[in-house]
Parts: sequence; structure tokens; C-alpha cells
Amino acid sequence: MHKHRTNFQFSICNFLAVLLLCCSASAAADEKMTAIKGGDLYTITSGIIKNGTILIKDGKISGIGQNIDVPKNAEVIDAKGKVVMPGLVAATTWLQGLRSSREISKIADSLDPFDFEVSLALASGVTTAFVTATSSPYRRVQSSGENPIGGTNAVIKMTYGDLDNMLVKEPVAENVSISNQQWLRKTNFLLSLRKAKDYLQKLAEYQKAKDKDKKLEEPKKPAELDPYIRLLGRQLPARVQAATADDILAALEIVDEFGIRIILEGGIEAWIVAQEIARRDVPLVITPRDKQEPRKDISGPSGSTMENAAILKKAGVRFAIVPQGPYFGIGGMAGRDLMVLPMEAAFAVSGGLDEQTALEAITLTAAEILGVADRVGSLQVGKDADIIILDGHPFHYRSFVELTLINGKMLYDKKQSTYFSHITHDN
Amino acid sequence: MGEEITAIKADRIDTVTSGLIENGVIVIRGGKISAIGTDVKIPSTANIIDARDKTIFPGLVNPCSVVGLSGSPGGEPASNPHYRVADELYPFQDAYRRILQAGFTTLALTPGGNGIAGQGAIVRPIGQTPEGMLITESGLLMIRFEANEKAKKVITDAFESAKKDSASTDPKVKPLVRALQGEIPTLVRCGWPGAALHLLPLLKPYEKMKWVLVAGPENYRIAEKLAKSKIPVIIPAQIDFEQFTRNRINVPKILAEAGVKIACVPIMDNAEGHEDFLRQMAELVKYGLDKETAKKSMTIHPAQMLALDYRLGSLEVGKDANLLILSADPFEVGTKIHQVMLEGKIVYQGP
Repeated sequence: MHKHRTNFQFSICNFLAVLLLCCSASAAADEKMTAIKGGDLYTITSGIIKNGTILIKDGKISGIGQNIDVPKNAEVIDAKGKVVMPGLVAATTWLQGLRSSREISKIADSLDPFDFEVSLALASGVTTAFVTATSSPYRRVQSSGENPIGGTNAVIKMTYGDLDNMLVKEPVAENVSISNQQWLRKTNFLLSLRKAKDYLQKLAEYQKAKDKDKKLEEPKKPAELDPYIRLLGRQLPARVQAATADDILAALEIVDEFGIRIILEGGIEAWIVAQEIARRDVPLVITPRDKQEPRKDISGPSGSTMENAAILKKAGVRFAIVPQGPYFGIGGMAGRDLMVLPMEAAFAVSGGLDEQTALEAITLTAAEILGVADRVGSLQVGKDADIIILDGHPFHYRSFVELTLINGKMLYDKKQSTYFSHITHDN
Repeated sequence: MGEEITAIKADRIDTVTSGLIENGVIVIRGGKISAIGTDVKIPSTANIIDARDKTIFPGLVNPCSVVGLSGSPGGEPASNPHYRVADELYPFQDAYRRILQAGFTTLALTPGGNGIAGQGAIVRPIGQTPEGMLITESGLLMIRFEANEKAKKVITDAFESAKKDSASTDPKVKPLVRALQGEIPTLVRCGWPGAALHLLPLLKPYEKMKWVLVAGPENYRIAEKLAKSKIPVIIPAQIDFEQFTRNRINVPKILAEAGVKIACVPIMDNAEGHEDFLRQMAELVKYGLDKETAKKSMTIHPAQMLALDYRLGSLEVGKDANLLILSADPFEVGTKIHQVMLEGKIVYQGP
């Protein structure tokens, strides 16, 4: 009990110290540099740099390699014997960092940087996440009934206590719900896409002809078509839940007909149609431990396999990996939630996937699918200094995140954590 | 008939704003303090209250309460500045009697409702008519904020349109104009620190307004930011727990030490909560809140937040004679409230 109390006092002191540090750092004209020295750098893009150094300036990675000169005034973080890698990217989550008692129409206006889950995300090494306005992806399309599209989403960073740097992008996709089991939604989706396509065609014709014929009237934009127009213009991808092979093929047909971009979520039977997915370069968000019995009413393969990720990789399909319970909590699905995101990727490895691709599936590929790979997902010069330091290999079940940095600022230190500081490998 | 004059002779007079006067006298004329000190001449016509062995303390001020009101309508954030708590006052509620006996001589009663909830009434917790309760006609403006696109829009739209219509006599606009010009204070309830981070930039353009933040305990996390904003904070007199732990934190202490002006309110906003209030405050002091700050946070600070510090919140010449005659220090266990004086009249005679 005494120990806990001390930890708490430390954490308050630390919190205040961090606050002061933030204030003074932002006030200073030339920001101090930080160097992470001596760790094994899992860069994701250029292999593992043993005993390497990362330099951080203005919240960005400014240098990386084995022969990096550390400026005299730089603050040095000793990472000898540790694993240093980019912060993890969760390609799907259920309500992280939002707080509002009513419908959220704009995530930027409802972000809560003090949300408990944000602090747990930092402890888990997750620094970037996809969030939707409602808690579960199955209710993501907020208007119930026959409307197949709606609700906002965003990519956020787990900048605890700092609202200004929390939002990365909103929206990043259109939420679409059109499984074959929801026939009317799918029909409405197709009808609306055709209507939007029609409108765009007429608009193009009008713009071509309007100078010659002044009497021409501009075609009216049908109500509620904005998301479909964004899809057709390929400005945003559609996130489509599709677990079974028939749902996946149905979604691919829509890609063929309308040329829209989609991201498939679920993909339990994706291994069956891997070639079809690869041919259209459609990315997936999968959960290797998802289980589904083979279907007796279908001739040919069906159901789940541990080799799903490995088969997709072989076919050339890009995918991100998320756990079954994509949220952070200290109760609930221990071992199957985002508190141990690397474990889910490790299961893909045990199903035959190579380690590198598995790491990419929780970092760079996830960032690419979310459209934020220009800022996060790998240790490269110019990217945001979102970095985690672990005491072992990310796929080892005993590994802990020891330090988490976002935009070069240390936001989590296991030694000072109320929840994790007492857990050591000596016990 | 001449003005009624009362003089209180007491061992200790805690002015709150200018220290403790020992063996002093307070002279009250027409309900106001006309003289206070050790070297005060008592007029021959004065009624004398002998308070030897007693402590005189200013009447308590609760700057944000809903006791005795119809309750929160809830619902979507909306703009209802024309709604007036003054129109639903009913003085003969037992809660008011108990609150007065607990030492509160001023209550700011605030409307429920989300968004711009309406106009609050600043009242005495006693009266023969609803109007008789009112201390000022103008009251305050109450806003309930949450981090939500719609809630932000409701507030910004209302003030931006009122700005362009400052001569309006429309009851839906006028209170907003008065708030905009700083004639009445604006209380804004915002429970979570994350929501406060959304709120503070929203308030910034309205520099003339007298903002007061009605905050939840978690707001200790942004103590520095609140101090920098210079917005005073109303906070429950509660020792809280750090989230998901049993670690106790003294939120009023953290805020006060960061430089935030605080007013404390009872943990439970009912008669019982008000009766427990001095014990709650005593616990904050036990856990490290500066004692003088604790006294101010239940008297002069809330009076300042309500822009009524020229009349209330301390024992000074010219102010309303709202005071408590106590058996000892207000935070001591066993201290009795012998009498409550409201504007020169004894309204409660205790044991």
C-alpha cells in the first residue's frame, strides 16, 4: 500500500513536471533535441538496426542509424538492450478517446485527451488509432434501418492531456454496412451509387456544354448523395464489413462496377478469395484468431483458418491486424483486446506469416490503410516521433512497453505507472 | 421612526477579507454594516447583541445550486436565455429553511437544461413571496456545456447573433447581450477536463464576459490551464479519488495552489449537503487546503463570482449584515451556529 502511495505521488509530480516541460519546450525558440541510444531499432522500412540511435527534433525523427552524432545538449534516453519501434497503429477500435452523451456528429469536437483508455493505449504501445462515432463497428452506420452509409470517423493520436495534437484526420473513410444479410441496405447502396454516378455524368455534360448554350440549367444535386459522390471521386474509401467469401465477392463487384476504393473488415474467409482481392488491390483489416466453422451448405472451402494472413500475404494482399475486442480495458477480454495488439499479430506468425509482414500489419500497413502513412507507421527521417521502447521482442508474450513517445514527447513511463510499475520480470 | 441600529459585541470577528478582529464590535444600520473594529462607538439607541465567547463569520454563499427547482429538462443542447428561474421560485420549501439554518444567506439558483439553460436567480433562502427572495433582479446566465459539435454551435451562434443585436429588447436576446457586456456573470457547467479543453478556446473571444466554470473533480488535471485562463472555478468540497484508483486527491487544494480562484459547494446539492458543508470544508483543510483560502472559497470568492462582492461575502463597512454567530471556529467539530443574521435581522435563533 505504501508503495502505491509513493507511486501516485511520483505520478503527480511527474505529471506536473511533464506539464512544465511541455510549456517550456513550446516556448523555447529552438527546441531541444532528444536521442534514443543503444537499442535495436525495428524500423519496419529498413530492417533492424542493431545498437542504433534515433534523433528527434521538433517532434519529428531527424536522424536514424548506427553512426549518428548526438548533439551535446540533447536529452538522451538509454535504450541499451531494448527494442525500439514505431508506435503501434490500431486499424479498428471501438470508441477510444471520445466523450459525449449524445450522438457525435464531429469527432474533433468530442475528443477527450484525458480518457482513461487513452492512458491505457499509451501503456499498450498504441499511439495511433481509427475511431468511429459509435462504440461498435456494427452500429457504426448511425441511422438504423435501411440506410447503408453514415456516421463520421477519424484517425487520432493518444496524446494524453493534449487536445491540440490529438486529431490526425477526420473523416478518413465512409462507414458502409452492406452485408448480404442486409439486402435492402445493399440495394439502397447500389441505387444511390448509380444515382450519384448519373448526377456526376450530367454535371460533366453540363459543364462541357454550358458555354455554348447559356440556357442550359445546372443539374440539381440529389439530396443525401454527398458520401456517394466522395466515394465515386475516390476521395475517401468505404469501410465495408465482409467476413464471408460471398460478402467479399459482392463488395469486389461494387469496386468493379463503380471504381470506388474499399477497405474490407473481418475477412474471415478472405483466404478463399485471396486472388480476387489481390487483383483489385483491396486492403483488409483482419483478426487471425477469428473462428468460423465451415459451412455445410456450401460446396468448396469455407470457414476460418489460422493460415488466413499467410495465404493473403502470398497472394499479395495488404492487411492490417486487429484483435477481437478492439478496445482498451482493465477488465474484459484479457489477451484478446488492444492491450496486447502484438499478440494478435503473433498468432498470424504461428499461422505461417513472416514476422516482418506481421509487424507491418500493426504499424505501417495499418497506417497506409488509414491514410496516415506519411506521418506514422515506421522509423524514418521526417516522420512523427511516435516511438515505443520495449523490454523484449514485440511478439514475446512477456514483453512490456517501457516508454511511449508521441511527437517526441514522453507520455508513458512504465516505472511511474500506477498500473504496471510493480510488474517486473524478477517475480 | 429612525433607522434600526444593532451592535454585536464579540470575542472574535472573522472578516475573511481583512483578518480577525478580537474583542470587536459590529454596528449595523438599516441592514448594512456601518462600523466594524475594536475602537467603535456604540450608539445609545442600539440594540446590543452580546456575543462574548463567540465568533462572527460572514454568511455562506452558494454560487451554483438547483435546490427547490423543477429539475433538469435534459434533452438536446438548445438556446433558452429567456427562461427565468425567478419565475418558478417558491420560498416555503423546507430545504430553504434548513439551508438558512446551516449558515447560507445567499444561494444562486440555476436552471437545468443543456446548452444555454436560462437565467439564474440570486436569492435569500427565505422570503414571504418569490420576489422577496430575490437579491438582484438581474441574476446570472447559466450554460451547460458538453464536448459536442451541436453544443458548441448552440453557444457560438447565440452569442454571435446577440452581438449584432445589442439594442434588442427581445427576451431571447437581452440576457445574452447583458452577459456579453459583462453586466451579469455567466456560469458554464463543464464536468470533464477534456470538455474544458474544448470550452476554453470557445470562451476566449468574449473578453468582456464574466465567466465562471462549474467544474467536476477531474478538472484538477488541467489546473495550470485553468489558472492561466483566469476563469474562476466552482468545485464540490470533495476529496476525490484518482481515476480507477483509491488514491485520494484534494482537488480544491490542487486548483487553489495552481492559482485558480475557487468557490466550494456542497457535495450533495440538497438540504443535507448544505448541513454537512462545514464538515466537508474542514476535511479539505485537514487534507492540506489553506485555511484562509477555504474560508474565502465559501464567502468572498463566490460573492465575487456572482459580481455581488460589493454587498456580500465578507464583514466590511457598507456590506449587507449577513453573518453567523458561531460558538467557535467554523471548521471545529462541535461548533454551533447560534444565530443567523440576514440584512441585520436575526432569521434563525439556534440552540
